[in-house]
Amino acid sequence: MKYKDYYAILGVDRGASADDIKKAYRRLARKYHPDVSKEPNAEEKFKEMAEAYETLKDPEKRAAYDQLGRYTPGQDFRPPPGWEQQFAGAHGAFEDIDLADLFAGIMGRQGAGGRSGRAFTSGRDYEAAVRLTFDQAFHGTEIELELAVLEFDEKGEARRVPRRIKVRIPKGVSDGEQLRIPGKGGKAPEGGRDGDLYLDIAVEPHPLYRVSGRDIYIDLPLAPWEAVLGTQVHLPTPAGAVSLKVPPGTRAGQQLRLTGRGLARPNAPAGNLYAIVQIVVPSVVDERERALYKQLAETSTFNPRAQFERETAHEH
Amino acid sequence: MNIEICEALRIDERGEIDWTQLIEVSGLPEPELRELVDDGALAPVDMTAPRWSFDAQALVIARTAGRLRRELDLDAHALAVVLRFVGRIEELETELRALRAGVARR
Repeated sequence: MKYKDYYAILGVDRGASADDIKKAYRRLARKYHPDVSKEPNAEEKFKEMAEAYETLKDPEKRAAYDQLGRYTPGQDFRPPPGWEQQFAGAHGAFEDIDLADLFAGIMGRQGAGGRSGRAFTSGRDYEAAVRLTFDQAFHGTEIELELAVLEFDEKGEARRVPRRIKVRIPKGVSDGEQLRIPGKGGKAPEGGRDGDLYLDIAVEPHPLYRVSGRDIYIDLPLAPWEAVLGTQVHLPTPAGAVSLKVPPGTRAGQQLRLTGRGLARPNAPAGNLYAIVQIVVPSVVDERERALYKQLAETSTFNPRAQFERETAHEH
Repeated sequence: MNIEICEALRIDERGEIDWTQLIEVSGLPEPELRELVDDGALAPVDMTAPRWSFDAQALVIARTAGRLRRELDLDAHALAVVLRFVGRIEELETELRALRAGVARR
């Protein structure tokens, strides 16, 4: 087991009062909490601090930590003889666990109302971050995960066990969603409930599609004459290209709906796909095109700014 | 080597969860979780029912509550306030995503 200097992590000395430890932790938490911090490696630093605080804030755990002795951070060590007997619930196969596992096993006085014994009545929940492409999220996929979870052997000793599992991700998951795999977290000792594994889903952005809730949006660029006359376009959708009829007189910004072509959702119809019309113009036109535009300009009675005139008429 | 295949469940697929399960996933002591209900951060399906049940989304709130409680060392009232802020941020992010998605990019 590798040693971590919890006092140094929180920037306090060994004799710090409980109040000093709390203050130091709060000051650092404000700086490094991943929800607010812009510091590099904030998440990693915060985890380290939270682990240190979890142990040092609890008098019993702090005493147990202090009695481990002092080592260089990262140095391999074993607790001194008799240490395990003194701190109920803390025993384990020391090579296979880390310091946080060791202290998670000690029932803190604060957490357990003074009851001594093992904290692990149920297995620990684990979280894993999973990054999916847009297509994987839309269609569902299978991914492989490698974890090191805490398990207990027949003697009730804790150790970290590497585990490889294949996970079927259902179709239609979205960015920021959390999925749950029951019973695949840490094993519980003595017939308790096994922990769960939670997956934090991140979905990579797609160059064409944008997602809002269960709906998908795509920009549909049209030439001015296509918008005026109407047309039939070949529109890509995540479930395969479709032929979309654009009615005559379609305006820029108008949303053409394709029902049920959005993200799938459990026990409900899928979301919709919306094609948002953009009117785009060529940046270069040849002589003949220019002549036709000129002819159109001279012939057309269409006034795109009629509203300006209506709204400002009284000013003259 | 055989690799076990597991199904990842969507949290809204799970339907309702009961009070005991909620306590278990949050890792919070029952009186603190009860305070979150009193403060409106967690809403039972039927507040007057003899045994409370919650929709599956409460699972996410309860886990967030447990995490914030541990990480920020908050008391139950501060936790309810922070959860309200977190909820508000999520609503605004959803709204922002909807606005960004629904407007043509160019």
